[in-house]
Amino acid sequence: MPKHPLRFASLAIAGFLAITGFDIATGLEHWPFGSYPMYSTIYPEQISWLRLYGVTDRGEIPLRGERDFAPFDEARLIVALQRLQSAPGGNQKLDDALRNLMRLYNRRRPLRALRLYSVSWALRPGLQGSEPPANRTLIAQVAADDAEAGR
Amino acid sequence: MNLRANSHRYWFTPETAEQLALVRVVSYGLLFAIYLPLDDRGWTQVSPVFWMPISLFHMLPGPPRDPALIGVLQILWKASLLASAIGFVSRLSMVTAAALGYFLLGLPDCFGKIHHLDGFPVLLLCILALSRAADALSVDRALRGDRAMRTNVSWDYRWPVRLAQTLFLLVFFAAGYAKLRNGGLAWMTAANMRSIWLGELFTHTPPTRLGSFLAQSKWLTQFAAVATVIVELSALPALFARRLRVLTLVGLLGLQTCIALMLGVYFTPHLVGYALFLPWEGYYTKLFRSRILI
Repeated sequence: MPKHPLRFASLAIAGFLAITGFDIATGLEHWPFGSYPMYSTIYPEQISWLRLYGVTDRGEIPLRGERDFAPFDEARLIVALQRLQSAPGGNQKLDDALRNLMRLYNRRRPLRALRLYSVSWALRPGLQGSEPPANRTLIAQVAADDAEAGR
Repeated sequence: MNLRANSHRYWFTPETAEQLALVRVVSYGLLFAIYLPLDDRGWTQVSPVFWMPISLFHMLPGPPRDPALIGVLQILWKASLLASAIGFVSRLSMVTAAALGYFLLGLPDCFGKIHHLDGFPVLLLCILALSRAADALSVDRALRGDRAMRTNVSWDYRWPVRLAQTLFLLVFFAAGYAKLRNGGLAWMTAANMRSIWLGELFTHTPPTRLGSFLAQSKWLTQFAAVATVIVELSALPALFARRLRVLTLVGLLGLQTCIALMLGVYFTPHLVGYALFLPWEGYYTKLFRSRILI
């Protein structure tokens, strides 16, 4: 038990509120406090995203974070890849990341290669989410031998 | 009445030990149920190239690599949640639940992106660990044969729940304020809302195509954009106005349900925040009395 319980409670309240208020006012994040900026920017009418494709004997198949690269979910995986892409030495980091992702996927069944594309869609009413991207640009790729070599 | 007296009344109006104890039982019980499937061992297989630590995780030399260690910590954490719910070895259990909760819930956020789902539960665990939430309805009390605290009333039983309620509502105010700061009034346009709903069809895996269907109505998208910001911003005045608080909480729960259905983002851990506002002591008394009558 604290010696001065009222002072202790007041300090605890002040501390929690101060960090919360600071994060809200500045937009910074001091987890588990935060400024909760999700969905807070203006969304353009064309969406650009990164998407991973696996190369199999039958050609390319689109892959999703939560299904194919556990423990990643799609949003965390793509944001992580975007951050690596824009970091200093981004190309090398992306290659390392793709090798690791290929090993995570290969626990299920082996791929011949893993490719990262920048994809985009023009957003218009009536879309269902299953439409292929309007544009697709290759960003990085690793082959099965590369993934084994990087183990 | 001056500001100081109002503030004192807000935080320190005397409350029963049972009310705080019931919040303890419900909060830890809910968190145990929500996080029972949590398994962080997979992160030990992820390359250090993805390691982007946040907050206190900067103090670690790198990502954890031992799945057995993570497995043991998970078992300890879930056991501490359960022990805290029943009030067994309460102080140690609640401190352990807060410390391991910080680590296990924060760990995935160190791999590229903070998901804003688990921050509030960690804050709640920290607040309860600092509180006297086990003064009533606990195994510890029963083992000591001490039932005197059951009817005790003190300001000490008020502030932890009040603080947790305040931080929970500020989560939503922060989200509303961030929209105005980062997007301005343009955030509240039909075009922006439509882009969010349609974009998520490609970047997430929503359980329904409701976003696609509703995005066809300009009127609905406009209404949803304005209503979202108004409901979120109302969380700040709702701290002080009881009637508004009820409306705001119902609105926020509706908003998060729509987000789950349309965007595929599940704020399940926030259920523990909504539960903080329910009159648990009233339910408990009603149940207790009806059992006596039977």
